[in-house]
Parts: sequence; C-alpha cells; structure tokens
Amino acid sequence: MGLAEPLSDRSVFRPTQIMVTTLLRLMAAAYTWRGSLNRYLASATGWIDFTVGIRTESGSVTAGISFRQGRARVEDRVPEGADVILTFTSDRAVLKLLNATPTEQIFMLLKSELFYEGSAAYLNCFFFLLSVLIHKKQKKLMLKERTTRSRQLLKESPRPRTDLSEGIKARAKNRLAAESRDPGVKYLDEPYLSSYGIEDFPRLQRFLDEHFTTKAEVCPELPKLVTEWHLENGFETDRQGKPWNPIMRKALAFRHLMERKKPIIHKDDLIAGTTTTMPIGVVVYPEGHGTMIWSELLTVGDRTLNPYDISEDTRRLLHHTVFPYWAHRNFREWVRDRYGKPLCQRIDERFAVYFDWKQATISHTIPDFPKILRLGTKGMIDEIRAHLQDHPHDEEERVTLEAMIIALEGLQAYSRNLAKQASIDAAREPDPARRAELEHLAKVCSQVVEHPARTLDEAVNAVWITWVALHQESTNAGLSLGRLDQWLQPYFEADMAKLASEEERRAYIKHAIELVGCFYMRCTDHLPLTPDLANFYFGGSSSDQAITLGGVTPEGEDAVCDMTYIFLKVTEMLSIRDPNVNARYHPRINSDTYLKRLCEVNLVTAATPSMHNDEVIFTSLSQFGYDIRDIRNWSATGCVEPTLSGRHIGHTNMQMMNMVAALEMALNNGYHPVMKWKLGPETGSVEKGDFKTFDDFFDAFTTQFKFLIDQSIEYNHMLAEAHQELRPTPLLSSLIDGCVDKGRDVTKGGAVYNSSGTAIIGLADVTDSLMVIKKLVYDEGKVSFERLKKAIDANFENDPALYAMVTRKVPLFGSGSEEAVAMANRIAKWAHDYYQGLDHYRGGKYTVGFWSMSNHVIFGTLTGALPSGRLAGKPFTPGLTPQPIASKSLLDNIRDVAKLDPMNITNNMAFNVKVVPSAKDTREKTIGDMFSYVKTYFDMGGMQMQMNVVTSETLRDAMAHPENYRNLLVRISGYNAYFVTLNKDMQLELIERAEYGI
Amino acid sequence: MAGYTPKAHEDTGTLGEALILEIKPNSLDDGRGIRTVVFFKGCPLDCVWCHNPESKSTRAELSYDAKACIGCNTCLEVCPAQAIDPGSPSFVDRARCTLCFACTVECPTGALERVGIPMGVEDVLARILPDKPFFVTSGGGVTLSGGEPTLAMDFSARLASRLKAEGIHTLLETCGLFDLKTFTHTLMPFVDEIFYDIKIMDAGLHRRFCGADNRTILSNFAAVLNMSRNGGPGVLPRIPLVPGITDTDENMNAIGKFLEGLGCRRAAVLAYNPLWPEKCLKLGLKVPFEFEKEHKERTWYPRQRLSRAIEILSGYGVEAG
Repeated sequence: MGLAEPLSDRSVFRPTQIMVTTLLRLMAAAYTWRGSLNRYLASATGWIDFTVGIRTESGSVTAGISFRQGRARVEDRVPEGADVILTFTSDRAVLKLLNATPTEQIFMLLKSELFYEGSAAYLNCFFFLLSVLIHKKQKKLMLKERTTRSRQLLKESPRPRTDLSEGIKARAKNRLAAESRDPGVKYLDEPYLSSYGIEDFPRLQRFLDEHFTTKAEVCPELPKLVTEWHLENGFETDRQGKPWNPIMRKALAFRHLMERKKPIIHKDDLIAGTTTTMPIGVVVYPEGHGTMIWSELLTVGDRTLNPYDISEDTRRLLHHTVFPYWAHRNFREWVRDRYGKPLCQRIDERFAVYFDWKQATISHTIPDFPKILRLGTKGMIDEIRAHLQDHPHDEEERVTLEAMIIALEGLQAYSRNLAKQASIDAAREPDPARRAELEHLAKVCSQVVEHPARTLDEAVNAVWITWVALHQESTNAGLSLGRLDQWLQPYFEADMAKLASEEERRAYIKHAIELVGCFYMRCTDHLPLTPDLANFYFGGSSSDQAITLGGVTPEGEDAVCDMTYIFLKVTEMLSIRDPNVNARYHPRINSDTYLKRLCEVNLVTAATPSMHNDEVIFTSLSQFGYDIRDIRNWSATGCVEPTLSGRHIGHTNMQMMNMVAALEMALNNGYHPVMKWKLGPETGSVEKGDFKTFDDFFDAFTTQFKFLIDQSIEYNHMLAEAHQELRPTPLLSSLIDGCVDKGRDVTKGGAVYNSSGTAIIGLADVTDSLMVIKKLVYDEGKVSFERLKKAIDANFENDPALYAMVTRKVPLFGSGSEEAVAMANRIAKWAHDYYQGLDHYRGGKYTVGFWSMSNHVIFGTLTGALPSGRLAGKPFTPGLTPQPIASKSLLDNIRDVAKLDPMNITNNMAFNVKVVPSAKDTREKTIGDMFSYVKTYFDMGGMQMQMNVVTSETLRDAMAHPENYRNLLVRISGYNAYFVTLNKDMQLELIERAEYGI
Repeated sequence: MAGYTPKAHEDTGTLGEALILEIKPNSLDDGRGIRTVVFFKGCPLDCVWCHNPESKSTRAELSYDAKACIGCNTCLEVCPAQAIDPGSPSFVDRARCTLCFACTVECPTGALERVGIPMGVEDVLARILPDKPFFVTSGGGVTLSGGEPTLAMDFSARLASRLKAEGIHTLLETCGLFDLKTFTHTLMPFVDEIFYDIKIMDAGLHRRFCGADNRTILSNFAAVLNMSRNGGPGVLPRIPLVPGITDTDENMNAIGKFLEGLGCRRAAVLAYNPLWPEKCLKLGLKVPFEFEKEHKERTWYPRQRLSRAIEILSGYGVEAG
C-alpha cells in the first residue's frame, strides 16, 4: 500500500487520515453536544479529563482527541503530552480495527498490528466511549462470530457421542476400596470412603447445579465501599492534608469495607459468608487491574469466553465513580507516572515476551490458618498489643502493628455481622431442619473468628470467613489455602472422640464430607476479573485457590490422615476446577494405598489432583537455608509452586517469562520478529556466520535472555514499590509469621521468608531447538546454520527434507537421550543461577519454575517457526512437557523429566501426561497402571506430574457438543479448567497433546 | 529421534547376534504389568494371516512407506544399485535391490526403513534396562516375541539369563515349533511364563495355512505344560481367531478337546486385526488372496464370533478371555 510510505508533505491526499479525523470529530461532537452522551464524561468529582493520540508508524495518520471539562476536541496531530498514544503499524490496521470484534481487536494488539504507549486506564476509557457509540454493532459481530463457530463445529461432528460423554460420567461408579489404613488415619474404617457417592449428598448436588448454571456477575460492593471511603478520607493525604501512611490508610479503608459488607448466608449452606453479593461474583480491585475492564463494560456479557453479567447500576458506578478515581492510583499507572513510561513496562505491554503478575497482585502465598484457629482475632489482637507494649518500636513499626489490629477488627466485625444475620435468617426460616442449621451457624459465628475454634464446623467456618476477608484485601488470584487436611484433622479427631456409638460416628463422617463439600463450593463463589486479553493468557482459570494434601508432617512423619481422605472424596465427587487440589507424596514415607487413591481420584475427575514428590521438593528448597521443619510444611500456591506455609511471601507467580522469545531474538541479532522491534543487544548474525561454535550461539541466547530477565525484574521492583505505596496488606501480614515481630508489612519483607518466583515457558521447545542446532549444524555438519535459519523464516515450507530431518533425526528432550537431558539441565541451570544472583527487594532469592498456565498457547501464537520443527503460531509444549514427537514411549518422557536436576527447579514444574484407559480394563488394572507410572517417576526423582485422563476423541466431541460436558475438567499447565470454557486454540492444544493408552 | 545404529553385517546368529525387529517399551497388553517387548525377526512358520509379516523372514528387509515419502529423491542419489524407481508404485525395484540399506541412512523422513537390526545381547539389554524401575513397580518385565524367539534359541537363552540375573520377569511368546530338548536345557530355565500359540488342530490345514506340520507343536505343548506343573514356567495357550481358518466350530472344538485332554483349564483368544495387510505392501509383498476382501473392507472382528469361540471352549471346561 502506497500509504505506508513515510509522508511528510501535509498537502498529500491521505484518505485514512481524513477518515480517522472525521470519525473522531463525529465522536467529539456526539459527546460534547448530546446530553445523553455528554453525561458519560462526568465523574463523581467533576469531569473525566484525558487525551488520546492516534498515529500510524508511517505518519500517514496523526490525530488526537482530548476530553476536558465535558468537552471533546479533535486535532490532526498527536497532542503534546497525550495520556496515551495509539500507534497502528499500517493504514490497513486502522480499517481492520473499525470492523473487528473486541476479541479480534485484542488479537491485533497481541500481534502488534497496533500498540499503545501511555495510560492503559485511559486507553480503556477511550475504547469504552467508543463502544458506547458502536456496541450494538459490536454485539452483532460477536454473536455472528459465536454462531458461525458453533455451526462449523456441528457440521464437522453432527451427532453427539453419548458413549463418550457417558463414559466419563460412569467413572464415578465401580469405586475401589482401600487395601490398608495409613498410620495417621484414626477413624475411617475404609479410607477411600467408597460407599459414598454424590447421590448421597443432595445439598451438594444442588450447589453443583447452581455452579454450572449461574452466570457470574460483576459485583459492585468492594469498589463502591472502598472508593466511597477514599472520596471521604483522601488517598495521598488525609482530610487535614497530612500525607497518609499507606498501611494505616489501607487498614481503615478495609475496616470500613468489612463493617459495611453485606453479611450473607448462602441458601442451604453450612458455611457463613460470601465473597461478594452475587451468587458468583466477579471482584473488581480498583487499585489492582480493575480499570482493565473499563473498555468492556458494555460488551463483557456478550463475549465468547468468560462472559459476565453486569448491571446498569454497576456499570455506572464503575465508569463514573470508581475508575476515574483510580485511573492513576493503580499499580501499573503508578509505575508509569513515577518512572516515566519505563522500557521494562513498555516491553511488558507488548504481550509477547513477559507478563508481570504484580500488575494484579502479590498475594501468592499461604496464610497461617492454624494461628487464627488457635487464637481467634481476639487472641491475635491481644498478642499484637502485648508486642506493642513489650518491645521498642519506631513510628513505622507502631503504625504497622496498629494497622494490623484495625484490619483484624474489620474481620471480626464481619463475623459478628454474620452471626446476627444467621439469627435473623433462622427466625424467618419456615423449615425446622434448616432453622436448626441456621441457629447452629449463629452460634458458630459468635465463636469464630473472634475466639478459638473448637469443632470442625467452627474451624471450617473460621477458615472461610478469614478467606473472604483476605479476598477483600488482596486480589483473588493465587492466594492459597495450604494444608487444610493437616490443620483441620485435630478438630475432626476432637469431634469424633466425643461420639460414643458407631452410628453417631458414621453420621458424623458423612457430615464432615458434606461440610468440606460446602467449603469447596464456597470457593467457587467468586471469580477473578479477567479482561478479554487475559483470556488468552490464563484461559478458563478461576482464582487458583490451591489446597495441599498429604505428604509429611513438619517432624517428617507420615501426614496422611482421615481429613486427607475426606478431602480426596470431596475432590472426586465434585470434580470442580477450584479449589486446585495438590497432593504431596513422599516416596519413602507415604503408602501405596494413598498414592493409588490419588490415581483413582485423578481417573474419576479426569484432571486432578496434581501430584508432587516431597523428597525432591525438599532437596530443591534445601539450598535456601530454610528450617527443615518449615520445608516439610510446604504447600502449593496458585498452580504448583512451593510456599512455606504461614511464614513465607514467595510471590511465586511474579512473572510469566517467555524463554523462547530470547531464542528468537538470538536468531535475529536482537530483533523480535512479531513485535518488529530491535529490542535486545546485538549478539551476532546467523546470516553473516557470526557463530563459530555452538557455544557462541548459546551465549547469544543467554545474553538475550539476560536482557529480558533484567528488564522484567526492574519492572517487578517498580511494581513492588507500587504495592508498598498503594496496597499494603495488614490483614495478610497479621497472618504471616514474622510480620508482627518485625512490625513490618508483607509487601516490605515482614515475613520470616521472602522470595519471588518466575514461571519460565518453553523449556522443551528451547532445548529441542538448541539440540537441532547443535547436532545438525555443529556436531554433524549436515546443514548450514544459514539454511536452517532460512527454513525457519519460511516456516519450513521451502525445505521439507530439512523439516523431516529436524523432526526425525535429532534426539529430543523426552526421547531418552542423555544429551538432550543435559541440554535441558544446562538451560535450567543457567536460568536458575542467573535469577539466583539477582538482588531481591524484600531480601531472599528469585526462584525458577517451569510451568506455563495457558501462556504456552498464546506465546506460541506470537512466535515464528523454531529450529525444533515447531511451526509458526503453534503452541509451545505445556510446562516442561516433552514434544509429542520426542518418543512413542511415555517411559522415555517420564525418565527424562525425572532426570532434570531439582536444584535448578525451585518454583516447581508442570509435567503434563495424557493417558487413556482402555475400556476393557478393570478399574484395578487401570489404577494399577496409573500408579506404576507415577510411583516409578517419583522413585526416579521426578518432581511433579499431572495427568489428563481423557481421549482426544472425547475432547473433540466436547468441542462440538459442549452441553454434554459442562463439567469436563482438564489440566492446562498447573491449573484446572472446564474444557468447554477454553478458547479454540487451547482446546486444540489439549487435543494434540501426546496420548498414551493404558 | 534415537534410532537403531545399523551395522555392517546382518542376518540371524552371526557373531552371537540376533536379528531384532523392534524393541517396544511400555507395553501393557503383552503380559502383566508394564513390559518391554523384544520382537525377533524370523519365524519357522508361514501363517497366511500373520499380523507381523515383516517378522517372518530371517533376513533384513527394506520397507517403503509411500505416505511418509516427500519425494526429495535423496535415495536416488545414494542407491548404488539403481534400484529406486519413483515412477513405479512399489518404488523399490526388489530385483535390483542388494539390501545395502544406504538409502535408509539418508532418507530424511524414514519412508525407507531397514526392517531387522542385528543386535548383541548387551545391545538389547542396554535398551531394556533403563525401564527396569517401571517393571519393579508394576510387576512387569520383558516379553520375548516375534517372529519366533526360539529360532534364535541360544541368543534368547543368553538374553533371558541376563534378565533373570537382573531380577526381571521374563515371558516368552512362542509358536511352539522348536527342539524340545534344546529348549528345556537352554531357554526354559530363564523363562517365568510362556504364551503358547495353538492355531489349527487339523494337520493338513495347519500345513496349508501355517506352512508346517503341527505335530511337534502339539507334543511340545503337552510336554511344556507338564513341566509347568512340576515347577516349570506357567503356560497359557493362545488362540488367534482368524475368520474361516482358525475360528471354525470344528477347529475350536478340536482345540477345546485337546486342552481338556491335557487338563488345561485356561486359554486366551486373540481377535483378528484387519490392519496387517498394509504392512505387506510396504515390504513389497502381496496380500494373500484369502484376505484381499477383508483388506479392502477392513472389517473388524465381530464380537459374536469372539463370544462363540469362548463359548465352545467353555464347553470343554476351558475358561477363555
């Protein structure tokens, strides 16, 4: 297109410029002069004022629109000091954007057909104002997109395969009984609890039905109450104009929220309290990533993935009151304003290289639940008061401790309100059985969380009420529940000891299962706010509240107990994605009976639990000098990451790092092909023959990787500062050991242990690519590097023989090749050593993990062909799973992954295995085979394994007939999701994973 | 991907090596637990329905897979005998081919492949032992299959003895045509379990369809079964159900009677798999006329016929599955 040429002469006819300015002028006129639209420019405190610049890279378009005092003005240049500048790479992209659905627009952003610099909040506001004008057309396009797709799928497979869908459901039958009892199992005669099925729990069946038929809705409560408090009391300074101490400000705002939060007892529930006022509420954290949904306020209910309802009132509240107030007061914009649009942030916002999770949250951790169960808020407040009296404190420490007290008071107020509400509900309840339950709940809530828990009912309620409060303080993403089986077992035993008759005990065990079932279902009452863009990165993810079961006690004894099996029973019966169940297994201490049960639950649920090798995790964590008892007390956080329960801020999902980008940049001398950006240092040209040896190239790769890591860590530090300024978390701090002693918030390093963890994506893809380069180019000299590079650039279309050679003649990771394993270890070690050497702002170290959430799909989409033979746009492998072509034998995969050195893998891994039971086998044989794989893998030193037990055929059927598979659970890479809620690329990735018959 | 390293020499038995067709790890259907199956090349029988036609010949063979071929013509350049003819449907002129296998080394896609690699006991062990931990947890082991492992009796015996020394469970799949005395003295002591094929009872039909007499096979079976009762390896007779050939009521009744006579109460029946003729084509072999129709229609073995066979056997007190 001639228009892409640089244009300096303003008199040249520029049709796109004319079109853009004309449209902007129409927009400006509409918003300025039409009263019904003009009101959209009003905020709670005045007007929403901001400026947007629009340009093309060639200069063929330069325009701007500014909103000031309720008036909009258009210029035909990019305004000086624009809050955000939107740059299109071509005129064609401008036209494309105008006719695209919101999802397609995001894809354009991801593929760098356009990019922005400046405030994401105002960009989203601008797109919201646009969608006010055109949302009817957008909705039509979205509907068309959805119907075309489902029609297409139905055409491909018109008849539902009920044999397949029924087959999955039938797995809940033919339950095995336990062969033995673990030493920690005190009361369960048959630990597998095989006599119980979901049909025995009509209450849970009703909750499940609700779960699958209720559409989530954006909840206004939290942003409303918090913003209201700040409008009254200020943010930067208080009413007297004195600068706020951030932690005191946060504590007071939090208490305000908790005191006024509506106390709700969910219908028929055994547990009091709800995260939001909606049956399934989406929580908006305005200081976090809340404003990212601004542009979607009108369309979020119609999008294909993760649609939410949103009421007109909530929409108004967010647009006029909440978002304008927080447009600069959120992590991302705070960094932008404070550090002047730093490079590290601009890279992040191009979406192809890394994603820093601190933009949303830091709360990937495990609170000290045993403490609040033991002391209650009252005991905890007394303890802090005593500490304030007994120890000298500076002003900051004193304020911090007082803030913790205020936060605990907020939690306490909420539980008192719940007790009152339970009494009110009981009085109104016509059904006597339910009335008794409500009266009981009223008693439970007057005991906990204020006072210590005494019974299992009280303990479970205390955990949940605290959980609700923690989610009013920190973003509901990755905050995790820890070793609930361990922590609840004493209450279960105490209750059981009081029962004399066999019959009473049996009834109580059933009650305990139902109670834990209610707890699981409570965990599904909220969802994280997911902008459509994030659907690509974390597709189908809920808030990843991990529960950890089994393993060993802090003293190193077998920890498997009655509650372990009760949790497993509930996991099996409900088969829901959240909580994310992780099971610890110690090969020398835990029993085969326990491991077999994990396999059976995995078979029935098709995807959970994720299984971990205690011994290997211990080895990995031992390098940090942690107390061995604390190491033995680890729990999984978010997806799989180890956190030392109750005393460790390990922000284990600090970032998602696309390692393959470093490889691509090394192949292109620092240039990133999709972003079309010469980003990294010049490390040599393949075409010019700059790499004399393989190690020369390896160095180029690590130099590029180092560049990306440095940038991402710089951003991490800036965001960390933003957290300290905008959102200290006094309640969480009161529940993390070390913070009271130090008088310091967790965001500033108050915890006993501190670290941050990365998730590196693409270990198998990078290993295989480097193996191909090493073997074919350097060791065997069969192919010149230039020829290989040419083939990659052409997606191998010009060189099928080379493609065949690459995919067949090189030993890959997972093929049983020592050399490939050594390469993987070399890369992992380099990453580990480099991260380990970096300074950490809270003290402690950076840890390195190899798992990918669903980033392996989207990063794959944004990456060209690789030397490994992976074609352009195809997903990377999930976690560090070998490529399907590496070997026909699952055993090769298992052995190679088990050979990875755990010392380099300090933030865990995700090894995905897809196994398919044969229909003719008995349950015993299927479980026996699964057990053999896992057990051997662990004996060999494997760290983690997660199995999807479903055929590609079934997944295909589910794609075309989602109505038959609403609860089909799949493991992505670390977390679970409902298959039918995934985007098409992710569904295909799961289908194409290697499948092994068992 | 790691493949076999072809060696200069070939064929069975030279230098204490055996011609190995494939070593297949992670098998869950060839005996208990997780197993590695060693497929030997070469068989004394010549069953028309053989599911592994590539295992019959005792010589290495060249296989060509038209579906995998990308037409890069690398093979044309390296073939010293000008035996490659891309124009012809069979691709390889078998009359000219000297089986030097130069083409298989250079073929990038594996469309041209060498079938049968001479391997020493230690080579085979090296491929098996990494999977030993899986045998231990699953109660699995190694299955010697074929082809016919007893055709390389000495090799099989040495391999089995090494496996036993490693504490690995061994299972032999055999057609039963071997010298009993040699078998008893060399291989049998190192075998834990035997899957023994019983195909056709009528001697004439056996000669016709299996290319050899069945008297030795049947007498060997009786002898091995007898030894099994005196502390020898467990024996399970296996009956391949081939439509119209082995699965006739007449043959099944005869087998039932035979097993009843020996007091054998258990057997396995193996349903016919219609995919094998594909393999013939790759080797440049003709699909036997008896199976041309089935090959075209790819009919799967009907469940009723399977039940019928089981029913007949149960009439003789033989429990089959």
